[in-house]
Amino acid sequence: MTGSLQDNSARLRMLARSGIWISLFGGLLLPWSIMLAVEILLRDVPLQRAWRSFTLHLFAPGYNLFLVGLLTALPFVILAASILFHLGTAPAHNVLIAYRRACGLFSAALLMALIAGWIHIDVLIHPDAQGALAYFYLPILLLMVLPLGYGLGRALAKLFLPRVPL
Amino acid sequence: MTAASPSQNILSSREIRLHLLGLVLLLGFLGLWYWLSTGARAVPTLIELLKDDDPSTRIVAAEQLGHIGPAARRAVPLLVTQATQDGSQHANSTAASALKWIDLTAARGVMAYFLPHLHDPDVQQRRTACAVLGSLGPVAKPAVPALLAAARDADALVRRNALIALAAIGIPSPPIGVALLEGLRDSSSLVRQTAVAQWAFTVPLSQEAVAALTPALNDPDKSIATLAHTALDKPRAADAAHVGSLSMMLAHASARDYALHQLAQLGPAAGEALSPIASLLEDEHPLIRYLAVETIGGMGAAGQPALPGLRRHQDADPVVQAAVTEALRAMESAAAAAPSSKEASP
Repeated sequence: MTGSLQDNSARLRMLARSGIWISLFGGLLLPWSIMLAVEILLRDVPLQRAWRSFTLHLFAPGYNLFLVGLLTALPFVILAASILFHLGTAPAHNVLIAYRRACGLFSAALLMALIAGWIHIDVLIHPDAQGALAYFYLPILLLMVLPLGYGLGRALAKLFLPRVPL
Repeated sequence: MTAASPSQNILSSREIRLHLLGLVLLLGFLGLWYWLSTGARAVPTLIELLKDDDPSTRIVAAEQLGHIGPAARRAVPLLVTQATQDGSQHANSTAASALKWIDLTAARGVMAYFLPHLHDPDVQQRRTACAVLGSLGPVAKPAVPALLAAARDADALVRRNALIALAAIGIPSPPIGVALLEGLRDSSSLVRQTAVAQWAFTVPLSQEAVAALTPALNDPDKSIATLAHTALDKPRAADAAHVGSLSMMLAHASARDYALHQLAQLGPAAGEALSPIASLLEDEHPLIRYLAVETIGGMGAAGQPALPGLRRHQDADPVVQAAVTEALRAMESAAAAAPSSKEASP
């Protein structure tokens, strides 16, 4: 039992550590990866040219892809902080609580990534004059999705995780 | 239990502190990256990009340099070369547009280079000349007479580009307004559409324009009719509320050049905004100071309260200083003419 508790605790520690950094870098790199992927896969732009165009427009007025990345990353920074303070401070001796929190946070992360990805792809595939506004509303939307996704994950965990201490 | 787990929580407080430090370092790195890649610090990199083989790279680099403003002065020689020698018209225009924000004298140099091209036998040269002169905006005011002639060119695309350029320059507004009204009756639908579009989006709407645009509401060309509708929905040039909102826009750096350019085209009606305009004589951007001088000069008698400040103004930029001299001359002769006309009227 102690060995199993230690294993679970170590697994959760690894999950928390990797979750924090995946959220941070994933949130930042997600929009940039999508921009490059759309250019290469949908518009048949060679990788080298797509990369050059991307780096050129990172700080260009009217494009500012750097700020687009930062705006999308902002809710994921909050998510990383939630993982740090909510999952990281879960009691190590009661892994059921930690797993429930982990499920909630994973569900929130998944929903946020799906919505962010869908909106970025949609803006790039259907460009219009007001499309860039989506980049400003996206962080607000993702911040609203965070507690909803968390609640959903917690509800699923309550349904499917065993109630006895792991 | 305590012996079974190395800490009471999933992450120890030391680990939490270390992660927070990592987060702060990451945010700091991103901030540093942004700081190093923007403003005057980016100028050396952008100068290198101006030498790139790819026109789109040169275009984006020129746009960014223009955004940086006078701090990008080191890029002026390469921008002048791009404006005048580059094979791509878009690259010429973006470089010229950047120059107006960096160095007005260099921008006037580009204007002087392209003026003879308006009479070039090669139609493409004339089209490019119109496009580049237009991208210089109000700085290309001395090119207006030549562009008015180009607006009667045999080639429709030259006429179209000339009208776009005249609308972008905007001052002096009376002859430009006349050319745009003539454009509404052009034989080419492309030129007519361009003329309506300038009234819809660029040039303040005069009473003459309202009268000329009203029949265009029933134009068989739907796009012209729609543009005429958009133009007629705009506030009128002398509308006090419109002048008030333009005056408020002067306080916002991002809208300042647009608002000032609009006010410069209103003539005496811009007098309501004299005070905020006069304060822009000390702006860091020569283009803004130039527009402020042109706006005050165009007000005539309404600009008289700014006359002492304008007399004292010594501008470091020779183009702005020349505009100050010209504005003073115009305002003083208007002031001298006013009493004599009063005497003559009874």
